[in-house]
Amino acid sequence: MKRKKMLLSNETINIGFVNKVEALSGTSVRRCFQCGKCSAGCPMASFMEHPPNRVVRLLQLGQWERILAGRSIWYCASCETCATRCPNKVNLAAIMDALRKLSWDANGPSKESFVQLANRLFIDNIRTYGRQYELRLGAVFNVKSGQFMKDLLLGPKLLSRGKLKMFHSKNRNITEIENIFTRIEEMRKKGEAP
Amino acid sequence: MGSKHKLTYAYYPGCSLHASAKEYDISTRSVCKALRIGLAEVPDWFCCGATPAHNVDELLSLSLCAKNLSMAEEVEGDLAVACAACFSRLKTTQHHLEHNDIQRKQVEKAIAAPAPVGKKVKHLLEILARDLGLNKLEEAVTRPLTGLRVACYYGCLLTRPPGVPELDDCEDPRIMEDVLSALGAEPVQWSHRLECCGANFTLSRPGVVLQLSNAILASARAAGADCIMVACPLCHGNLDIRQQEIEEGYQTRYGMPVFYITQMVGLALGIPTPRLGLESMMVNPMPLLQEKHLI
Repeated sequence: MKRKKMLLSNETINIGFVNKVEALSGTSVRRCFQCGKCSAGCPMASFMEHPPNRVVRLLQLGQWERILAGRSIWYCASCETCATRCPNKVNLAAIMDALRKLSWDANGPSKESFVQLANRLFIDNIRTYGRQYELRLGAVFNVKSGQFMKDLLLGPKLLSRGKLKMFHSKNRNITEIENIFTRIEEMRKKGEAP
Repeated sequence: MGSKHKLTYAYYPGCSLHASAKEYDISTRSVCKALRIGLAEVPDWFCCGATPAHNVDELLSLSLCAKNLSMAEEVEGDLAVACAACFSRLKTTQHHLEHNDIQRKQVEKAIAAPAPVGKKVKHLLEILARDLGLNKLEEAVTRPLTGLRVACYYGCLLTRPPGVPELDDCEDPRIMEDVLSALGAEPVQWSHRLECCGANFTLSRPGVVLQLSNAILASARAAGADCIMVACPLCHGNLDIRQQEIEEGYQTRYGMPVFYITQMVGLALGIPTPRLGLESMMVNPMPLLQEKHLI
């Protein structure tokens, strides 16, 4: 990967963003001393352009554009290995959640669209049905991601074993879920919730 | 209520157990019935939000789980959870509600109800190993799984992070091996019992799953395991449903059946196989079970 030279100055260090991440994640970004234990244990590090410890280092240096522009945060599996092993109790899994939320809310220019699409459809399913409707999740994902053939052979095998339901009924108390979504949206409009 | 069964629980199956992991639900109900453990499903429960919700919207994730916990209050007993992901999310939510006043107030506003923290959330493993007890479980065994070498696979969400699920030690848990030993089977020592299987990348980036799950299957085979035992529908989906694809991709052959804990317990209790959902498994376990004279 071609690396751009990184210039550090008061202008390039976005400390406001670091504070936001710390507030959202409830953990300290500054406490990390770059031992690299998180990246050593991370099952997804090989898929990331910035492994976990470098994400934290970039964050410490206020280089959030570099993080959000890449796909690293979307390739975190939330396995919690990093948070379990950090000698300084930096909750990196929570930092990843905070970074994804900030990117998501800002319609961040991430290169990873498939993971974001899957997240979007998963949450939409909850709002529409109350529970996951797996067949629809897979089918809509294929259509929207343009991968019409993905797992096509798997579908019939799952159906014949009763592992996929063709039809799925909504929860009868579905309005209660809609109310939760609406209340959160209202709280955010009023600035009462992140 | 409560007189027929000594142990009675509210039961939160979660979305997968009503579809792709229905054999986990079937076997859980069969095993609990056989052990006289009462399960009453929480009516009209919602999806816990799983990984996608907390990945981009923590407040939504906490509110969905708080809503479920609040509905579970209406049902007698501790809350029994089978799915490792639901278990992790419900426990994480309780942890946040207890330790973070600001978040608790936000959640209470979102669900328009007081935040429920009193309900004890328990994974099936805890119920089998601690509430029922390993001795009682061992006494109930009628067909010991003698000679079956099993790789106990915990995955990510049963034990991590520290202080949250509090099921067992984060890095060196024993609870699955203990349950398995009570059934008369032989747990193998292996390297990948706490590694990630690729989880929900099965939808968005299956290539990730093929790589990570292949490493898990290879490690189990190298340790001489006949099969793998899991407690999570997503782990099961990746190791069982995608196993053939992994074999094709990596030019190898595993033929490694992947059982849910409750299927293993059910076999040892002598429950007939149709009531354990074995026919739903993609990797057919029958040749192995016949070879070991377990059915």
